Amino acid sequence: MSGPSLWWIDWSLHGKPMRRETVGRFLLCFFVASYFLAMLLSGGGNRFLSAQYTMTVILRGGVPDEEGEGIGGKVAALPQVREANYRNPEQAWKEFLAAYPGLESVRSAGKNPLPGYVEIRLRPGGMSEEGIAGVRDALEPLPQVEKILSGGDVMASLLRMKRWANAVLWGGFALACVVFAIVLGMQEKARAARLAPEVSFLADRGVPGGRIAARRAAGAFVAGGLLAFLAAGASCAAMFFLSGRFSFVRVAVGPAQELQDARVALPAALFLLSAAILQALASLAGWRAAFPKGR
Amino acid sequence: MIEAFRVGAVSRGRTLWEGLDLAAGDGEIWVVTGPPACGKTLLMRILRGERRPDSGDVVAGGESLYRGSPGHNLRFRAFSGMVPEYLPVPPGRTVGDLFRLSALAAGGVVAAERTRRMEELLAIMGLPGVEGAEVSSLSASERARAALAVELFRSPKYLFLDMLLANAGREWEERLWGLFRALAKEEKTILLMERRLPDRWQGAKEILSLSAGPFTWSRMAAFPPQRQGAPAAPAPSGVPGDRPGGEAGGDGTPGQDGPAREATKGEE
Repeated sequence: MSGPSLWWIDWSLHGKPMRRETVGRFLLCFFVASYFLAMLLSGGGNRFLSAQYTMTVILRGGVPDEEGEGIGGKVAALPQVREANYRNPEQAWKEFLAAYPGLESVRSAGKNPLPGYVEIRLRPGGMSEEGIAGVRDALEPLPQVEKILSGGDVMASLLRMKRWANAVLWGGFALACVVFAIVLGMQEKARAARLAPEVSFLADRGVPGGRIAARRAAGAFVAGGLLAFLAAGASCAAMFFLSGRFSFVRVAVGPAQELQDARVALPAALFLLSAAILQALASLAGWRAAFPKGR
Repeated sequence: MIEAFRVGAVSRGRTLWEGLDLAAGDGEIWVVTGPPACGKTLLMRILRGERRPDSGDVVAGGESLYRGSPGHNLRFRAFSGMVPEYLPVPPGRTVGDLFRLSALAAGGVVAAERTRRMEELLAIMGLPGVEGAEVSSLSASERARAALAVELFRSPKYLFLDMLLANAGREWEERLWGLFRALAKEEKTILLMERRLPDRWQGAKEILSLSAGPFTWSRMAAFPPQRQGAPAAPAPSGVPGDRPGGEAGGDGTPGQDGPAREATKGEE
């Protein structure tokens, strides 16, 4: 083991309070990381809404099954569409009877009165006016399409509410980040103040305060990055556990397996980097607050 | 070498002294004695480059500590050790923590090497096995010796010791004298600030120069050993010891002249 370094001066000289503070910092970081990952997966209210919402494309009577399935396949290829399933008239009739038992007499003449249709479910990211309009634009020109049921005016107000809900949720995340930063700043100020006798000792022996501050900040960057990594890892593990155990978590947040997607990896890496930088900056700010004139 | 040129200091609106000259060369031991509140600690801080004198200048290694580059001042401090009269140590801090700090000041020392040297130095200071003890639990003498051991850990070129002998106690005067002689042989410069010159040190008849006044400057010749009653080493030119009138008598009594005395004229 190498000797003590200015990078780890706090750990070297104040190990006990540092361990205590780090536990608190880890828990806070775990909360913020969990919040962030949950928001990344769910997109706020997007995933919940997309789980509840379906677009229905009613086809004209007499459209062959092959064409219906072809339309379903074409819709499923759209980027905002999660899945699109074609139901032929016979399947539609069975679903109707299952939903409204006792209405078999409607088909007394022998002819199926229901047409085939395509049921479309959007991805959470596609839950917007633009996403819905994109699907409509792709289907409306088709001669086989009779009607597209996409929620009408109700859907517009629902999407507006979803935007507000997302803004509130991301605002909550921003608030959590601010609280995290404030706690970090207070902790770092207390750490720097606690270090005052040692700083005085070192300054008397030719170690400039600026060098101590810079090395401590570098140590805070490394330790902060490691802490954020561990907290994010624990958060992922918790999500796998919760989404495997509780279905409402899968519905509202999404399957934890999606954490392995590239679309989550980059923001998660940026989150870790931001957390490390934030902790280094907090170290410098705490130093400046404890030693305003610079020592 | 540390050289002070016409240094003066004012404290609380009172001129403590002015026009002080001093040149402490390599391998020399200097003792500054004087009554309480005469400015010994202030002089030490000035010579260490911590407090700009109100007049004059201090030069170390050929460059001014106050008018030279800030980097030079820092380098000088890095090469010097200091034992303050009162060691400010927060509660709960152990002797081992002080060595850890000293290692940090030295730029990092391998843990095994640190432990080995710490144990060695503490044994020399009569404090074996105290590395885990809280500094606040040590006596004044133990604190002073532990603080000296902590400074010696970095092998400083210059040692500034404020009331070390008084705090360490009479029992340690002889051993510390031997230690300082050994350090001086390694070309280290040692400056002590004390209320009085230890009796045994005076009896050594190795005092080169003294002067009366609030301060008494004593340059202790550490080596090479000289015959009793004679100067141990020639005083560098232009320093107090050069002046014949400023040399101590063979019985160790202070001389009555010298720049230091001149410097204190008009005081009190």
